[in-house]
Amino acid sequence: MAVDELLAQFHEIAASPKKQLEKYLAQGKKVVACAPVYTPEEIIHSMGLVPMGVWGADQKVGEAKKYYPAFICSIMQTVLELGITGKYQGVSAIVIPSLCDSLKCLGQNWKYAVPDIPFIPMTYPQNRKPSYGIAFTKAGYERVISDLSAATGAKFSEVALADSNRIYNEHNAVMREFAEIAADHAVSAAQRSDVFKSAWFMRKEEHTAMVKQLNAELAQTPKDKGKIRVVVSGILADSPSLLEIFDKNEIRIAADDVAFESRQYRTDVPEDPNSLDALARKYANMDNCSVLYDRDKKRVDSILELAKRHDARGVIVLMTKFCDPEEFDYVPIKRACEAAGLLNLNIEVDRQMVNYEQANTMIQTFREMF
Amino acid sequence: MSEEVKKQRPAPDPNSAKFKLGQIAAKAYSDCVEAKARGEKVGWCASNFPVEIPETLGLHVCYPENQAAAIAARGGGERLCSESEGEGYSNDICAYARISLAYMKLKDAPEQNMPQPDFVLCCNNICNCMIKWYENIAKELDIPMIMIDIPFNPDYEVSEAQTAYIRAQFWDAIHQLEQITGKKWSEERFQEVKKISGRSSRAWLEATACAKHNPSPFNGFDLLNHMAVMVTARAKKEAADAMETLLKEYKENHEKGVSTFRAEEKYRIMFEGIACWPWLRVTSSGLKDRGINMVTTIYADAFGFIYDDFDGMCRAYSRVPNAMCLELARDKRVKLCKDDHVEGLLVHTNRSCKLWSGFMPEMSRQIGKACGIPVASFDGDQADPRNFSAAQYDTRVQGLMEIMEENKGGN
Repeated sequence: MAVDELLAQFHEIAASPKKQLEKYLAQGKKVVACAPVYTPEEIIHSMGLVPMGVWGADQKVGEAKKYYPAFICSIMQTVLELGITGKYQGVSAIVIPSLCDSLKCLGQNWKYAVPDIPFIPMTYPQNRKPSYGIAFTKAGYERVISDLSAATGAKFSEVALADSNRIYNEHNAVMREFAEIAADHAVSAAQRSDVFKSAWFMRKEEHTAMVKQLNAELAQTPKDKGKIRVVVSGILADSPSLLEIFDKNEIRIAADDVAFESRQYRTDVPEDPNSLDALARKYANMDNCSVLYDRDKKRVDSILELAKRHDARGVIVLMTKFCDPEEFDYVPIKRACEAAGLLNLNIEVDRQMVNYEQANTMIQTFREMF
Repeated sequence: MSEEVKKQRPAPDPNSAKFKLGQIAAKAYSDCVEAKARGEKVGWCASNFPVEIPETLGLHVCYPENQAAAIAARGGGERLCSESEGEGYSNDICAYARISLAYMKLKDAPEQNMPQPDFVLCCNNICNCMIKWYENIAKELDIPMIMIDIPFNPDYEVSEAQTAYIRAQFWDAIHQLEQITGKKWSEERFQEVKKISGRSSRAWLEATACAKHNPSPFNGFDLLNHMAVMVTARAKKEAADAMETLLKEYKENHEKGVSTFRAEEKYRIMFEGIACWPWLRVTSSGLKDRGINMVTTIYADAFGFIYDDFDGMCRAYSRVPNAMCLELARDKRVKLCKDDHVEGLLVHTNRSCKLWSGFMPEMSRQIGKACGIPVASFDGDQADPRNFSAAQYDTRVQGLMEIMEENKGGN
C-alpha cells in the first residue's frame, strides 16, 4: 500500500475513536478506558480487554464545570465532559492513575459524575526505583487486576501477560523507529500526529502491523530536506489547527518529548521470569517525564540530547494550560536551551482553544530567525 | 490636620496561649538562623513532612509554606509572585511555590526571612506540586532532596501495601539524613517525640472541639494561625504546653460565656480551604460584621496525629487533607459540621490549590446535603492577592447569610 493510503488510514482511525470503540464492541470485546499519563495497558490487553486512551477532545466544557473549577487543565475537563455526556458508553471501566493533582481529582469526580463506568485507581509510587517502590507498583497492578476482574469478569494469567509484554515491546520498537524515519522523510506534523494518536485507539498488535508497513514504505522514499527541525515537548501535540501552522511554516518535528507520543514508547518491559514483576520494573525504569519524580531534572538533559541527536535548531514547548508539572519544568528547560544556544518557544495550548493566531505569530517569528 | 491617635494595645499576657504560640512560631525561624550561624545544616521542609523525623534527629528546619503565608499576609505576595513569573514560572503555579522560588533567588524578603537550605525535605501528601517545587530548589541550589512519597489514597482505609511503602521510605529518609547531617536516630528520643506529639494533638483536638458550645468560645480564624504550630512544632514540648493552655482558655471562656469572637455569634459556619492570607482582614471582617463565626475547619481534625507505633505514624500521614479520597474527606467534615452545629459551609475555591479545589464542588454538595446546610463558594488564592475579589466575597457571604437566616425561620 502506498504511503499516502496508509497515512490516510491512520488519519481515519485517529479522527474517529468512537468508530473504533463501536467496532471492538461489535466484535464482542470489552473496552477499558485508559486516562493519562501512564496506565498498565499490558495488563488490560493480557486479560483479553481492549485498552483505549482517553485524553479528552478539542471541545467546549459544559457539564464538567459542575465538578471541576476553571483552573484545571482542559484534558481532565474534557475527559470528564465526554464521560458525563455519554461518549464513552459501552466502555466497561476506566483506569485513572494519580500521577498529578488534577488526575487525583479526576478519579474522585468520576465516581459521581459517570457512575455507570467503574473507576479503577492506579496508584503509582514516585520513589519508583528502590525495591520497596517496585513492590508498591506491583501491589497497584494487583489491585487493577482485581478491579478489572470485578468490572468485566475477565481473568488474569501471568503467561498471557508475558505475551502482552512482548506485544507492547514490539509496538514500542516500531513507534521509536517511526519517529526516527519521520524525522527525515516527507511526513507532515499532522500525519506524524495521526500515527501516534491512532495507537491509543487500536489493539497494539494491529497498530504494530500498520506502522511496520508504513515504516517500510517510508524508508523507500527519498529524504525530505530543507525544513526547520525542532524538538516538540509537552503533554499533547494533536491539535489539527496547531499542526497546520507547523506544516505551513515548514517546521519539521525531528523528535518529540510529548507525553501522548514518544514518552509512551521509550521504556520496554525488561526480561523477568515473572511477567508482573517485569511490568513493575518497567515503571521503575521510566524517566524524563514531568509527572515522574526527577530530582536531577534529567528530563531537561534528555531534551537537549534529543535536540542534538536530531540536529534540531530549537525546542518548541506546547504548554498545556494549567498543567503545573510541565509549568515547573519549563523554567529549567528554557534556561538549558538558552545556555546551549537553542531557540525555544513556549506556546500555551488548551483543548478549548479555537483561535491559534498567537501561536501562528510565534511560530512565524521563530521561523524567520533562521 | 489632626494627628492620628493610635489606640494603645494592652501588653500581651506572656502566659496566654496566643503569646506562647506566637513565640513558638517566631522561635522556629530564629532557631534555624542560629543553627545555620553555628555551622549546622538546616533544611527547608514541606508542611506535612513527618515532623517526627527532623525532631528526633535534632535537625533545624524551616517551612517555606509558612514563610510564603507570612510574606503574603504582610503584603509581599504579589511582589514575589511577579519575581518568579519574570523567571518564566506561569502565574497558574501555586503562589506559595512562586513566592518560595523567588525567595530562593532573592534571598531576602523583609516580610519574613529565613536561612537558605542545605537540604530539602519533601512530602507530597499535600500535593504533587510540592515535588516539582522542591525538585527545582534542589536542582538549582545543588542540595540533597529527601523525598517521601505518600500517595493519594483512593480508599477509605490505608492498605498494608501503602503502609509498607511509607515505612520503607521513612527509614530511607532517616538514613539519608543521618548521612547528610551526621546526627543519629534514637529510638528513645523518638518515643519522647511521639509522646509530646500525642500530647499536643490531644489538646488541639479537644480545644477545637470546644466549638460544640454555643456560642463557640473562639473565633475560628484563630485556628488558621494556631494550626501552623500544630503542623510544624507539635513534637516540641513548648507546643504541647501551649496547646494545653489553649484548651484551658477555651474551657474557661465557655464557663464564663465569653469568646475570642468579638461579636454576637448569630451564625456558625465551617470554612473550607486555606486562608486567603493577603486578604485575611477582609475575609475575617466580612464574616464578623454579619455575626458569622467560622467555628471549624478541617484543620480541627487534620492535625490530631495520635498513633501507637511507627506503622501507626505511617498511616496517620496518609490521612491528612489532600491525601484522602472524597468519601473519607467528606465524612470527616460532616462530623465536624454536626458536632459543632454548623449552619452553613463557605468554600474557598483556591486558585493556588488544584487538589484542594479539584473535587470540592462535588464534596461540598454532598456535605451540604448530609448536613442540611447551604453551601457558598468564593474565588480566591492563598497568597496571590490578584486572584480575589472583595465584592464577590461580600456577595457570596451575604447570600450564604440570607439562606442561614431563612433556615432559622427569620425573614
